[in-house]
Amino acid sequence: MSGRARVRARGIARSPSATEVGRTPVSPSPASVVLSDNEASSSSEFMETSRISLNCKYGVSSGNVGSTFSERGVAISRNFMDLDICTRQKLAHVRDCKTGSSGIPVKLVTNLFSLDLPQDWQLYQYHVTYIPDLASRRLRIALLYSHSELSNKAKAFDGAILFLSQKLKEKVTVLSSETKRGETVKMTITLTSELPSSSPVCIQVFNIIFRKILKKLSMYQIGRNFYNPSEPVEIPQHKLSLWPGFAISVSQFESRLLFSADVSYKVLRNETVLEFMTALCYKTGLSCFSETCEKQLIGLTVLTRYNNKTYRIDDIDWSVRPTHTFQKRDGTEITYMDYYKQQYDITLSDLNQPMLVSLLKSKRNNNTEAQLVHLVPELCFLTGLTDQATSDFQLMKAVAEETRLGPLGRQQRLARLVDDIQRNKDARFELETWGLHFGSQMSLTGRVVPSEKILMQDHVCQPVSSADWSKDIRACKILSAQSLNMWLILCSNRMEIVTESFVNCLRKVGSAMGFNVDYPKIIKVQENPAAFLRAIQQHVHPDVQLVMCILPSNQKNYYDSIKKYLSSDCPVPSQCVLARTLNKQGMMMSVATKIAMQMTCKLGGELWALEIPLKSLMVVGIDVCKDALSKDVVVGCVASINPRITRWFSRCIVQRTVTDVADCLRVFMTGALNKWYKYNHDLPARIIVYRDGVGDGQLKTLVEYEVPQLLTSVTEASSNTSSRLSVIVVRKKCMPRFFTEMNRTVQNPPLGTVVDSEATRPEWYDFYLISQAARQGTVNPTYYNVIYDDNGLKPDHMQRLTFKLCHLYYNWPGLVSIPAPCLYAHKLTFLVAQSIHKEPNLQLANSLFYL
Amino acid sequence: MPNRRASRNAYYFFVQEKIPELRRRGLPVAHVADAVPYCSSDWVKPVSTPLRRPGMLVPKQNVSLPDMSSLSLKSDQALLGGIFYFLNIFSHGELPPHCEQRFLPCEIGCVKYSLQEGIMADFHSFINPGEIPRGFRFHCQAASDSSHKIPISNFQSGHDQATVLQNLYRFIHPYPGNWPPIYCKSDDRARVNWCLKHMAKASEIRQDLELLTVEDLVVGIYQQKFLKEPSKTWVRSLLDVAMWDYSSNTRCKWHEENDILFCALAVCRKIAYCISNSLATLFGIQLTEAHVPLQDYKASNSVTPKMVVLDAGRYQKLRVESPGFSHFNYSNQDQRTNTPIGDYPSGVKISGQNSSVRGRGITRLLESISNSSSNIHKFSNCETSLSPYMSQKDGYKSFSSFS
Repeated sequence: MSGRARVRARGIARSPSATEVGRTPVSPSPASVVLSDNEASSSSEFMETSRISLNCKYGVSSGNVGSTFSERGVAISRNFMDLDICTRQKLAHVRDCKTGSSGIPVKLVTNLFSLDLPQDWQLYQYHVTYIPDLASRRLRIALLYSHSELSNKAKAFDGAILFLSQKLKEKVTVLSSETKRGETVKMTITLTSELPSSSPVCIQVFNIIFRKILKKLSMYQIGRNFYNPSEPVEIPQHKLSLWPGFAISVSQFESRLLFSADVSYKVLRNETVLEFMTALCYKTGLSCFSETCEKQLIGLTVLTRYNNKTYRIDDIDWSVRPTHTFQKRDGTEITYMDYYKQQYDITLSDLNQPMLVSLLKSKRNNNTEAQLVHLVPELCFLTGLTDQATSDFQLMKAVAEETRLGPLGRQQRLARLVDDIQRNKDARFELETWGLHFGSQMSLTGRVVPSEKILMQDHVCQPVSSADWSKDIRACKILSAQSLNMWLILCSNRMEIVTESFVNCLRKVGSAMGFNVDYPKIIKVQENPAAFLRAIQQHVHPDVQLVMCILPSNQKNYYDSIKKYLSSDCPVPSQCVLARTLNKQGMMMSVATKIAMQMTCKLGGELWALEIPLKSLMVVGIDVCKDALSKDVVVGCVASINPRITRWFSRCIVQRTVTDVADCLRVFMTGALNKWYKYNHDLPARIIVYRDGVGDGQLKTLVEYEVPQLLTSVTEASSNTSSRLSVIVVRKKCMPRFFTEMNRTVQNPPLGTVVDSEATRPEWYDFYLISQAARQGTVNPTYYNVIYDDNGLKPDHMQRLTFKLCHLYYNWPGLVSIPAPCLYAHKLTFLVAQSIHKEPNLQLANSLFYL
Repeated sequence: MPNRRASRNAYYFFVQEKIPELRRRGLPVAHVADAVPYCSSDWVKPVSTPLRRPGMLVPKQNVSLPDMSSLSLKSDQALLGGIFYFLNIFSHGELPPHCEQRFLPCEIGCVKYSLQEGIMADFHSFINPGEIPRGFRFHCQAASDSSHKIPISNFQSGHDQATVLQNLYRFIHPYPGNWPPIYCKSDDRARVNWCLKHMAKASEIRQDLELLTVEDLVVGIYQQKFLKEPSKTWVRSLLDVAMWDYSSNTRCKWHEENDILFCALAVCRKIAYCISNSLATLFGIQLTEAHVPLQDYKASNSVTPKMVVLDAGRYQKLRVESPGFSHFNYSNQDQRTNTPIGDYPSGVKISGQNSSVRGRGITRLLESISNSSSNIHKFSNCETSLSPYMSQKDGYKSFSSFS
């Protein structure tokens, strides 16, 4: 449908109903289903990346004729929206300087590249109107671009808004052109604004320019990223091919404009849907073919090579064939077969194949009707990996070997991309006409903060590696543990002997770490969830401290039913262990140690602590996710309730809202402060909240909606001096990557590396921290953005505190990627969203029952 | 001239409530009128607290006690004998608002219940959902897979909608006269209502059933008995329990055989169990197998001597040595109450009848067998903790005491 030729030929005036161009409403009868795969999907994709969908010069990319031109100019895509929130300005103590100074400086290479502009560079925004009005954007673009006045200028145009790097002579320019039909069209180009290079609109234009450039390097945009189909990495033994590609963006960093690129891969299966169907038909026979086919195919994502777009298979229409006709937008009827011949010069070989149906998401608003497209199985390639494939260890290993690039491999790929951009004539021309200079790879100086000591009961231990100190603490006693006197083990008959030896092992490792474990009551049950649940109901009484279940399989039913009953109906800490884990030879001791630690925490024990100089500090972690069943929003909040930060109050609240913004923070904070008061007879002097689970574009809501909730509960808690609050947004995914140069090669930076300059944003009080060890591949820094800060801690202290908190996750004796309270909150929301589906009983709130 | 005060609506009070906060933010608001522009965005935001839940598809009927008045129950006796029907209809997911067909009914379950008799009869049927709107097969399939797992096509057991509805009517109302009240959980009400209407349209039988919520029923019964209103949270947690999930004779045959928890019949039966276990006991009703799945909890099929590992002498030594934390140690607490001195430093073990150090494990075993029925005590215990007003004194005899 996005056929250039046809649209050009048409040139029809915009009709009053043009607001619905290309969006024929869905009707149940298949005959009127419109094949408009290109348009709608490309428009939706443009929406994702940037609302200003501009077309490139020769109309290679396709785009939808949007009805909301006027809105487009204003609307700024979600990831750019956050940039408007200048939180740093309100924080007096970091307004001038937000960098720390402690630690050993380390030189880092980044995946950022400088992008230089002339000092007085400006972007000129024009509005273009057509008389008579034209509906087709392609035609609008073609007419405008054909003018000599504009032909050699750098420009970007979406059909209504025109951006130029050079000013036109007149404020209002009138041009006229003639269509192929002989109509004369008058175009009025009016200057609307002059934008400096730092304006968000410019940033978007730069992104568009780079997207054009990557297309010139014969890369194709799929989703948000660009891939190179001409250099696939084949994994023939698994019928897979990987398309190498990049995720790119341009944005304003601390002091300058930077281009960032990261390596990405698209996993494709070397099989069309038609081939898949044929193979399936041979395997199953005709009788139940359509049923199995629907079962296996529906829900999968396919890629159509003719336009490199992806679709989800929502249905299969067995009644439609490629020889059937559909109605095009202009009302003419055409068969699918002819359409593909005309449009893409593809000849279909199988004229009896059914058609796949895909439901296009309307990104604009929810009340417009969904649109259906028909796709030809022969032209659809399966993408991604099936569940079956992901559970195939060999396959995943083969994929990981290719995709998990180490720092060196990543660096080489980046170097090649830069090289390609600089060598390609068209790309270079594009950059030059805009006046952009693509510079060198950025390097900057980070700091490695000192490693931390782990405080055990009577030992202070300096771990050999802060990535894993399990060996270092083996001989030490944990801080505190409740002795376990009354507990149950449920296991199946055949696990009896293993369970006995496991219990002995557990008692042995328990006594070594100072966790006294009595002999449990072992109950043998049949191997089904009902038997387990029934046995729990019969044997759990108020004195039972903990229930351990040796699960015969990792079937979700067992875990879910046990957790559901024991977390809400009848609140008792529970520990599930897979029988398979206990059967591993030679692993019993380490398994028992791990489980003993978990059990201690579930009973309210404390494992280790860190030296934290701030007294009376409460740290809070918040995470948000969606319930797997009901799609309710699950908010998990975890707060420390002692000054040592070893005991936690955990609460999970299920919100019946659509947006993943927490509504219930007051309820939680008040509860947490009460708990703190109960144990410490005072309120905490400082509260630091780490908020995880924030998506693009949510920063504003956070600042305006969540921070006030926290503030009110804090101020309400005491009449005179209220606790000082800081709120930090934690993001695990961020664009920058850092490498250290060592012996002429690049490596992952050491643990505890902090970056708070250059790669940060000028309008925020932010920093990057590397607190996780990557065994393979490249380490991902965690990004912290302090959006509210009454505490006025020095950046140094804030960074060190954050690093310390990454040591306190009791489920792993080592550093974790995010602060412990956040990871606890994540674990809690995950349990609720996946298994319990309701709020856990508050009686459990004082222990880490969800570990 | 009408009283101006009458025009004050909810929004007015919302804005009034917001004014202090706005002033704190430093906005110049003197009157409600000044504050209106700042509040409109907040007003639109859904607010959720455990007690207030917006976003219900169908506005809840503003009735405090509709069921009771309609039954005109004067005494406990009338309440006990009163018959309620619990109904649920499952759908293959929910389609987006712009679709004409919002639900695809696929399973129906209904039970006839009274506090006195427990479950008196039940009705269950699979429904043929009809043609799945083109393009929504994935959506429906995914919704089904994540819950009841009923196949969306080629499912032989599905009956056509008209027949199912006729059978349902016959089940609920075999004789002419007044129709009894039908209840379902408030979360399901919109769906069940839609499905009933849809099926009636297909079958051209006009009979508008009055669908009420179980939550209101529970509130009503409680109020009738204790003249107090229980909290919504309590009612909700009373109805939302996992303990009966795997009980025998609760799910329909198909769901039982395939071991799938989500079953329309099971939802209805579980409502009956919950009401029986927590409310019927308040009236001093002897629970029978019609009230709760007692058969699963008979002592006979629970503990056989073989199943318990005797914690005999070989561990006694360890036990005495281990100090433990006295305040967490349950058996030590027992000692305190039994001994006149009361307070012992932690780690001191006093031998005696109540000490955790016992002779041969066999005593324990025998005790555990004799106690196996009282082990079920936990059910009631969970509820006592939830129940706002109930205590054992109230004559609260739960399920456990009868088994």
